[in-house]
Amino acid sequence: MNIIKGFMTTFKHVLEEPVTLQYPEQVKDFEKRYKGRHHLRRYDNGLEKCIGCSLCAAACPADAIWVEAAENSDEERYSPGERYAKTYEINMLRCIFCGYCEDACPTQAIQLGHEHQLSFTDRRDAIYIKDMLIDAPADGQEATPRQVEAGVYTQSIPNMEDPS
Amino acid sequence: MAVIGNKKYSKQIEHHFSKYPDKRSAVMPLLYIAQEEYGWVNDDGIQEVAELCELDPTHVKSIAGFYTMYSEKSKGKYWLQVCTDLSCALRGADEFHKDLKAYLEVEEGGTTDDDLFTVEHVMCLAACDNAPMLQCNFHYMENLDMEKMKAWVEEKRAELQKELDA
Amino acid sequence: MVTPVKEDTELVTINIDGKDYQVPKGGNLVDMAKWVAGNDIPVFCYHPKMDPVGMCRMCLIELGGVARDRATGDIQYNDDGTPQIRWFPKLQTACTQTVNDGMYIKTNTEQVKEGRESVIEFLLTSHPLDCPICDKGGECPLQNLTMAHGNGVSRMYFDDKMHLNKHYPLGDLIYLDRERCIQCARCIRFQDEIVGDDVLAFHERGRRLQIITNSDPGFDTYFSGNTTDICPVGALTTGDFRFGARPWELTEVPSISPWDAAGENISLSTRLDRDFGGKAMIKRVMPRQNEYVNEIWISDKTRFGHHFTRSDNRLSKIQIRKGSNFSESTWDSTFKAVAKTLKEANGSVAAIAGGSATNEDLYELAQLVTGLGGDKLGAWSPTHTGADLVAQVGLPEGSNLGELGAGDAILVIASDLEEEVPMWRLRLKTAQDRGAYLVVANGRNTRLEELATEDPNIKGRVVDGAAIRYEAGSAAAVMANLKKSNKDIAKKLADANHLVIVAGAEGLTLEGHRALVQSAANFLIDSGHAGKVNSGLLVPLPGANGMGLHYMGFSPETTQDIAANPPKVLIVLNAEILDDDPTAKTWLSQVDTVITLGYFMDAIARESKFVLPVQTFAERDGSFTNGERRVQRFYTAQGPMGDAIPAWKAVGNIAQAADLGRAKLSAAAVMVAIAKNVAAFEGITYKVLARTERQFPDVGGDDKYYGGNAYQNTGGIGKQIALSGTAKSEKVTVPDALKAGKGEIVLLPTTRLYDRSHMFIPTVMVRSRVSLPFVHLNPKDAKALKLADGDYAEVNYDGGSVRVRAVVSDDVSVGAAVFPRKLTEKATPLVPTVGTITKVTEPAQIEG
Repeated sequence: MNIIKGFMTTFKHVLEEPVTLQYPEQVKDFEKRYKGRHHLRRYDNGLEKCIGCSLCAAACPADAIWVEAAENSDEERYSPGERYAKTYEINMLRCIFCGYCEDACPTQAIQLGHEHQLSFTDRRDAIYIKDMLIDAPADGQEATPRQVEAGVYTQSIPNMEDPS
Repeated sequence: MAVIGNKKYSKQIEHHFSKYPDKRSAVMPLLYIAQEEYGWVNDDGIQEVAELCELDPTHVKSIAGFYTMYSEKSKGKYWLQVCTDLSCALRGADEFHKDLKAYLEVEEGGTTDDDLFTVEHVMCLAACDNAPMLQCNFHYMENLDMEKMKAWVEEKRAELQKELDA
Repeated sequence: MVTPVKEDTELVTINIDGKDYQVPKGGNLVDMAKWVAGNDIPVFCYHPKMDPVGMCRMCLIELGGVARDRATGDIQYNDDGTPQIRWFPKLQTACTQTVNDGMYIKTNTEQVKEGRESVIEFLLTSHPLDCPICDKGGECPLQNLTMAHGNGVSRMYFDDKMHLNKHYPLGDLIYLDRERCIQCARCIRFQDEIVGDDVLAFHERGRRLQIITNSDPGFDTYFSGNTTDICPVGALTTGDFRFGARPWELTEVPSISPWDAAGENISLSTRLDRDFGGKAMIKRVMPRQNEYVNEIWISDKTRFGHHFTRSDNRLSKIQIRKGSNFSESTWDSTFKAVAKTLKEANGSVAAIAGGSATNEDLYELAQLVTGLGGDKLGAWSPTHTGADLVAQVGLPEGSNLGELGAGDAILVIASDLEEEVPMWRLRLKTAQDRGAYLVVANGRNTRLEELATEDPNIKGRVVDGAAIRYEAGSAAAVMANLKKSNKDIAKKLADANHLVIVAGAEGLTLEGHRALVQSAANFLIDSGHAGKVNSGLLVPLPGANGMGLHYMGFSPETTQDIAANPPKVLIVLNAEILDDDPTAKTWLSQVDTVITLGYFMDAIARESKFVLPVQTFAERDGSFTNGERRVQRFYTAQGPMGDAIPAWKAVGNIAQAADLGRAKLSAAAVMVAIAKNVAAFEGITYKVLARTERQFPDVGGDDKYYGGNAYQNTGGIGKQIALSGTAKSEKVTVPDALKAGKGEIVLLPTTRLYDRSHMFIPTVMVRSRVSLPFVHLNPKDAKALKLADGDYAEVNYDGGSVRVRAVVSDDVSVGAAVFPRKLTEKATPLVPTVGTITKVTEPAQIEG
């Protein structure tokens, strides 16, 4: 009797659809909040959101982020305010995709996207530099650095809303 | 150089210095002289007062900035300070202040385009009984209304026009 | 002002949060609570080095005293026998209280907490909260105290904040962020009380209150950088560090200033840097607390002058001359080649070393030269002497310039301390503020003279000082005859409890300086001050290790001897002989081979056979002996530059190649050998030098109100060398002052803090503050030369000529032209000399 009961389970599963996906031909849809590789975002006006504050690097449990900051000027502006990231690097081999950097960011500049196919043939290739991480400017928009009108972009951090 | 240190004021300056044991104590009266000469406390005035009182110009500017009776902005020929405190306001001084600014087309503390009038509100001038009132270059004008004021303003404007013509 | 804590201070009992403590009477309550009870009363405006003002209201506490009967003065008791406490009805500021017997305070009640919360909330009403981009973020007292005492929420509207200029330069070096300022006035008070230069002030009032400077030039003192350290928010930042790194990413490495005889203790904040090849790089220089040396201050030269360590002009490869060209080489082959050259000299070997060489370098160099049979060890530059007398009648062990005060006296002669050793000038001026009698004697007007004699309009400052203005070059005679010609001053100096004499070399030849120092020593011995703690002789020897040169056997007199009798082979260590001295080329041409160990390809290096790159203080371990004979060690901070190695290692390996014993493997090992062989260094090891002690006031560490971690001294406070020998009052023969012939004038070289030396010129940000080359004349002399202020003049002297600007004022005496060293690319006179000045129309050779 028991043997029939056992085979019943087997036969039942024969008829079911297989769970296995034929990756990479077939790719499963991701949850919206899936945490893939990082992107550095821009404001609508095309300026970089990142202000080089290094809080992501401080929050990173794997010590995967390296930031060096420098001073903006109106002649050569990367981001609003005084400070921008001169160097921004993430070592994808170290990164554990925990998303702490995203939480730490005061300007929501760094966001974890859906890109997950990260493989390298050389360790050095695993270091993503700023140019690889930052979004391209929208169509027709001037890239950074750019010359801007003096005295317009004085605040690094967007105005906070009244919490009440 | 040394505009206020010249003969015109030398007696006054001597008088002020003689009142105090220390030269620096005379800084405030001397700043009034500078304000009288230039119409406001400008950098030249500060520099001269600093030299006269043997103080650092930073120190003198600090004093000029602290006290409201020193003006650090250039003003018109007539500096109109309207009292808008409670008892004056009850007699319509705040309305008067508003109307005056509208008539002269200036913001609070602003100066008219012809550099004649500067309007700002001040705290109590101790003349509530005759409100609305204002202080024009430290002289009181009392029992005012807009009609009187308009007439006075036009009179002054006409004077200026005459001067310009001549 | 620092709370006086001396051994004989009377103790009183105060009660903090229900516990009794014994504290010195007259101490500041905030300091005392911290010192004895570890109770951090939060403060913003109070600073233990300055007078309290009680402006920020952060230090509110509940204060009470033992109740006494008004009529009889008897203590009133409760029923249970405990004394009755009478509490103030409202909170009081702790920083304005000095401790008294029977003082009761509470620091942890609800009322106190509420007070602190409210003050924090108030201070944040218009603070921009841009901590992510703020250089102070992470070591910010406002941040720390908000986390510790703040409420967490604000009742104020965020969009109601003031938006002001965030990048307002107060001077060339310091930037003010007007949004962040919380108006504590620490910077203003620092300039007033500590520096004596009130170029900062408040402007406007209330919410519009701002820091301003209206002086010309603006915020331009040699100590301006210190205001950024004491600023409790990120309002003041230095142009050097702006956005350089976040404080938590920095590694603090204890070090010593490489510039002058004060030996300021510093922390080098380093971080790996992409632009520096991924090596550790100095991001900023911060003071490190050493109450014996620099308290918690450093001069701007120390703070901003670190750029030479990474200069592109640094020597990075070994250069060996082949004909008229240089070719690179490796260390191993160079050691052998140098050793061969040295051996072939048959003992005709001498060495000249500069003041930036460390004790270890000098010891190894001395060993090498004596091992080869040479005996001439010269100290550079041959302008100052008297180190041997400082070793005998200097400040004894345990002395501290910070303890000088009422009843004490200070004489500064023939030195412009502001330019030579700014830290001494700062400490001596504050000593005068505490009541010391300060006498400044010089042949010209100096900044210290102004401070010593004039009341710079600082509130209630009573100045006890005097100035002696003598004929240029006659300092030695003035000192020798002080008791006759300046009776009153001499009597006041001799009668003082403690007497410190600073004897500079301005306007003096080496012989003249020896006479001056000996006279000064005589004065100290005759007045009974010699050997007394807090009394003694100081000489502003050039370089960081002037006293080290003496202890290792190098002397400026020998340098003169070397110049008179040039050896076959000369080893030059960190001495820019040809850049400094226009007359050196005549005797150097008689030297067969010059071996140079240095940082730069300077003029002497270009004339050398072997040029060996050595490491600066930033890249290596080592120790300096400062002007007060304190041996202090520094640690490796920055990544290496090219092939450079420490000088002791280079010299040791040359000695090994010359069969003079094995090279030492570490700087510590060299120090062990020094301790064994140099009597004065007995017992000194790196371990001894690394010892620290708890210092008052408590400013470093994990406290929340001074911010940062750079004040903390983890590297050691060093060890002062005991006085040795018994100096006797000796008869002094004062050499005749230089006399100029017809049409000639005496040129008096002086030292400028900011100059165009190879070490300082890489500091680009300070370049605009280096004065244009000039010659300073008295109107009488100028008239004779037909020169007016601002004219161009050609100065001719033995060994060269330069075109400079003429400055004419009666700040200098007649018959002598003040002609600062190292302001031009060409060598200008090192010691007083006779020259000519003529008017020219073409501009000076260096502009800006």
